[in-house]
Amino acid sequence: MAKTIKIDPVTRIEGHARILLECDDAGKVEEAFFCVNELRGFERILVGMEASTLPQVTARICGVCPTAHHLVAAKALDNAAGVEPPLAAKLLREFMYMGHVIHSHALSLFVLAGPDLVFGLDGAAATQNIVGMVDAEPELTKKGLRLRSLGQKINETIGGRGIHPVTAVAGGISFKLSDAQFARLQELTAEAVILSSELAGKTKGLLFALFDKNPILLEKLNVPSWYMGTVKGGKLNLYDGDLRIMDEKGAIQGEFTSDMYRDYLVERAVAKSYAKEVYINHGGAEHMYRVSTLARMNVVDGLETPLAQAEFELFRQNFGRPCHNAVIQMYAKIIELIYACEKAHELINNPALRGETRVPATFKGGRGVAHIEAPRGTLIHDYEIDEKGIVRAANMIIATQQNTAAINKSLKEGANNLMKEGTDELMLNALEFVVRCYDPCLACSTHAIGRMALEVEMQHNGKTIRHIRRS
Amino acid sequence: MIMSRALIVCIGNDLVADDGVGKAVYKELELSCLPSGTRLSYLGLGGIDLLEELDGEDRLVVVDAVQLGSAPGTVHILDWAGLPYMEPRPVSGHGIGIREAIEVGRRLYPERSPQHIHLVGIEGKCFDQLGQGLTPEVETAVPSAVAAVLRLLD
Repeated sequence: MAKTIKIDPVTRIEGHARILLECDDAGKVEEAFFCVNELRGFERILVGMEASTLPQVTARICGVCPTAHHLVAAKALDNAAGVEPPLAAKLLREFMYMGHVIHSHALSLFVLAGPDLVFGLDGAAATQNIVGMVDAEPELTKKGLRLRSLGQKINETIGGRGIHPVTAVAGGISFKLSDAQFARLQELTAEAVILSSELAGKTKGLLFALFDKNPILLEKLNVPSWYMGTVKGGKLNLYDGDLRIMDEKGAIQGEFTSDMYRDYLVERAVAKSYAKEVYINHGGAEHMYRVSTLARMNVVDGLETPLAQAEFELFRQNFGRPCHNAVIQMYAKIIELIYACEKAHELINNPALRGETRVPATFKGGRGVAHIEAPRGTLIHDYEIDEKGIVRAANMIIATQQNTAAINKSLKEGANNLMKEGTDELMLNALEFVVRCYDPCLACSTHAIGRMALEVEMQHNGKTIRHIRRS
Repeated sequence: MIMSRALIVCIGNDLVADDGVGKAVYKELELSCLPSGTRLSYLGLGGIDLLEELDGEDRLVVVDAVQLGSAPGTVHILDWAGLPYMEPRPVSGHGIGIREAIEVGRRLYPERSPQHIHLVGIEGKCFDQLGQGLTPEVETAVPSAVAAVLRLLD
């Protein structure tokens, strides 16, 4: 007889972000928890599926970074099948990916974080959204949205769909560029390069003005941690390369291929959040670390493309290596946005892009591991596939999960320094600002019109002493 | 006489219980006889992507699941004045609603933005179960939502 197992509440689905602050007798925050409920049930759902479906199925994990999941799954399948995709396939995948990164970073900078830049932290909340931003900075917003749209068009042309692409497969990509698409994409990437450098100057100006007005941001949000990111020949690479780890002093402590991740990273379940935390295991100790753009700018020696490299040099001069301040993440994102536009333009003008795009791939039984730099940080997929091509086990390490420990630490710093005698509104603004610096990927389940507001709960000795949410 | 053009955008994730009602209405509308000059499209998510859909149509009808506190299956027809506001500083892109998207569109792309806007919102009951389809109350409301869309196009 069928048995119904009811799990209530459904804890793997994100409903709203929640921040829990535990305070001492004097009201000082001792511990902060950003409670993220990622949809990690996928690791179980994948077991028993045909491996060839993974790039399409795992893209569905997320509507924000589907292309990262789609491509890393295809790369892991290449490895499981022991095949190397043809050069044109690798270039096309990377090109698709640059479209995705442009789209994601532009959304993050100009739509989500944009109002913080334009209005600062203490303006009237009612006008501080994308609509208010259009009124205050119409040109910036228009160009930012155009850049986002260009990224989406690149992603859609190569991936077959804008969200949840379908073309990457084990052994390559089931897509070839037509002459018309080729010409059109060359125009779009040229426009993207120009737009990104125009936007960079203005955005940087706003960011620096925010720092001038709120020096506390630079002084108090330094959270020393280790870092991890991908390098290829020491340079930034978002699609492929080795993982490099750096300690909080800036010394490089290792470089490894993603199939070795279990030797360097440990996952741990924690009491307050549904996402597991991850630590770097090195020298007999566990170290809190961060991934994402700031981490990448810390670990790399440089960038391949000229405009991004020039901006990167300024960044290093200003903020050193490593830079521990989460607020600087926005600056790092500007550099990466320029890089992604330049790289896309370079790739579409590479004649090798138009060769054979696929080799046959069959599974003989074994493991396939791969990683990619998702916009929010390193993403690892690890599959066990049997000789019939069926998935027997799956593990994924996701960016936000790796950053959770650092988000909690930044929230603690932020809570103790930014909101001492503030009103509820100021406190929410400040804590939300901290969260947005990390741009956490909240698993998407529903977008029905209604509220998904942030909720802050302050506790003392297990009792709630203050509960804040916007009314 | 130049016919006024209309755009219908149905929104919703059909993997997530009642959020899939936008897709269900879309499928019915695909089979319906729409007035000439009407374009029908489907989006998994609304937000900023809604801007990309606008192509200078005079009239926009958005179909989506809503949580406005009525009985599940209630079909709300809201005009511009009745559209709800979202939170002021969204943590994710999902915090950008129809109103915000259209207000951005009217300011940045007035030539592409519609004059007449309606939301046909179907009150949902369940938004946290995957792969189980619509709840019976919401399923029953699909024909009246389709009829409401067609009436708005008259």
